[in-house]
Amino acid sequence: METFNALLHGFSVALTPMNLMWGFIGVTVGTAVGVLPGVGPALTVAMLLPLTVKLDPTGALIMFAGIYYGAMFGGSTTTILLNTPGESASIATALEGNRMAKRGRAGPALATAAIGSFVAGSIATVLLTLLAPLVVELALKFGPAEYFALMVFAFTTVAAVLGSSTARGLASLFLGLLFGLVGIDGQTGAARFAFGVPELLDGIDVVVLAVGLFAVGEALYMAAYTSRLPGTLEKLSGSLMMSRDDWKRSWPAWLRATCIGFPFGTIPAGGAEIPTFLSYSVERKLSKHPEEFGHGAIEGVAGPEAANNASATGVLVPLLTLGIPTSATAAILLSAFQNYGIQPGPLLFQSQADLVWGLIASLYVGNVLLLVLNLPLVGIWVKVLAIPRPMLYGGILVFATLGAYSLHQSWVDLATLYVFGLLGFAMRRFDIPVAPAVIGLILGPLAETQFRRALSISQGDATVFLTQPISASFLAVTAALVIVPWLVRRYGRR
Amino acid sequence: MRRSRAEIALSIGVLGLGAGAAWVTARLPGEGGYAGIGPNFIPAVVSGGLLLMGAWLLWEALAGGWRNLAAPEADAEHPFNAAAFGWVSAGLFAHMALIGWAGFVLAGAALFAGVARGFGSPRPARDAALGFALSLAVFLFFVKLLNVNLPAGWLQPLLGGAGI
Repeated sequence: METFNALLHGFSVALTPMNLMWGFIGVTVGTAVGVLPGVGPALTVAMLLPLTVKLDPTGALIMFAGIYYGAMFGGSTTTILLNTPGESASIATALEGNRMAKRGRAGPALATAAIGSFVAGSIATVLLTLLAPLVVELALKFGPAEYFALMVFAFTTVAAVLGSSTARGLASLFLGLLFGLVGIDGQTGAARFAFGVPELLDGIDVVVLAVGLFAVGEALYMAAYTSRLPGTLEKLSGSLMMSRDDWKRSWPAWLRATCIGFPFGTIPAGGAEIPTFLSYSVERKLSKHPEEFGHGAIEGVAGPEAANNASATGVLVPLLTLGIPTSATAAILLSAFQNYGIQPGPLLFQSQADLVWGLIASLYVGNVLLLVLNLPLVGIWVKVLAIPRPMLYGGILVFATLGAYSLHQSWVDLATLYVFGLLGFAMRRFDIPVAPAVIGLILGPLAETQFRRALSISQGDATVFLTQPISASFLAVTAALVIVPWLVRRYGRR
Repeated sequence: MRRSRAEIALSIGVLGLGAGAAWVTARLPGEGGYAGIGPNFIPAVVSGGLLLMGAWLLWEALAGGWRNLAAPEADAEHPFNAAAFGWVSAGLFAHMALIGWAGFVLAGAALFAGVARGFGSPRPARDAALGFALSLAVFLFFVKLLNVNLPAGWLQPLLGGAGI
């Protein structure tokens, strides 16, 4: 009941004309930018971040939530029509979605993706509403030792357990942690890794890292390896309407995918990649038409798209209640909060109830806006896809450099951007995951603060992390996650 | 046995970064207060992590190549296009050099033209014009509407200051 009242109050914040307008701008811009091939939600949020510093926090964060959701909706359009997934979470959608489009069924594919995203996003937002106060309740009992253990858990799953290689994942994480150390130490004022450069004393901004890795690195990679390849854009022919049979096959997939996607989002499991593939294989197993898989089965679009949105909402649970980002996009959203001097966490629900509940209420509103915006207007977004690639990447880089330059009005940020671009190019080329670096940059300084605080409280006694029960269990689970798969690989293959 | 020079170079790069970080860390203050550890503790952990991962990656590179690479065949199918890479980089460097004195709009036009050339566009003059138009629109939107501060540069007499 208390939650219900809080949410009701949230709606009174989200539905003021100004905030409604920011939400609308957010979903529109998010969709428009997210439709661009090669531009995922992380890059969309990062590019638009420096340009909103003058807005009031509630309006700006409502807009960013809209951008976050909108970019994912837009991305599914690109995936289905162009077969170039903008992010790893869309790969599963591309498997069936693009084949449906090739068979002239682009309309129903887009419809099941959009409606499925709406259904999954809305159910997941209800779950977020119910779950968040419970997690807050628990998190209020956390001290620095518990937070540090939880962050170690997040680092380990994102970098070492997920992904194709532990060595490359951890290398990426340590790189991000190193970037996070640059600047003035928050507790003693000592300058670290700044080499006397004033721009570096402020620390490395996540915008520069994310835009460098995702936009500049991607542009260099695409130019160097694939610029002479013609992309084939599938035509959007026929009706958007789903037949009775399409509906019958879609809705169980949406619901199952929501149940898969949301829990995966809430734990630090590296975002939406695993649940989308899980949902794809579940649908494939349960389908009455398994022969259609690989040739455009509608369940194969409905499931992964719904799972993607449900897990994107799930990611907001640890982000809002604990201040812990579990995906690259969430890390950038966290820095959006930090720009306003707001640190998400259990206290935020008490000190800034207006903001948090307004934000959660705006997620309900955003889902409705996106459904309205996407289905009837899909023709406009398709036109965006027809932009030739030289113009497209030229435009993307004009916006990408604008974001970095506006931080300090300095070419030093642009040079740093290029260095990160080279890094992103190498990481893309040699299959080094990018998310651990971005999460390391944002979460590293927070983890260091909690670590030193915990040790200050215990007067330098390092066993504090193992004698506190909650902290010890987080660390035990972390160790198990690393050791068990290794043991299975080593001894399980007899 | 597959052995990639680039993988070896990157592994050594990680090792070198770890060594550099360790060198800097050794010169950081270490007094700790109540916690018993100072601002040099986590940098030491991170340096150690980088050195360890660099060594691990180098060992993998020498013993059969990095494991589970997603697309090692990309080379054979699409050879590295140095000219395209160069044009995109040139666009970014021109932008970096121009933005401070020639202004945002002209720098944006140069950037756009360079990137478009890198992606195989054959008409640089048209690209520069398109880039100019786009940057001008962006400039007017952000400077006049959102009050974001961007340099007008050589076009100052035409564009004026912030605000309408």
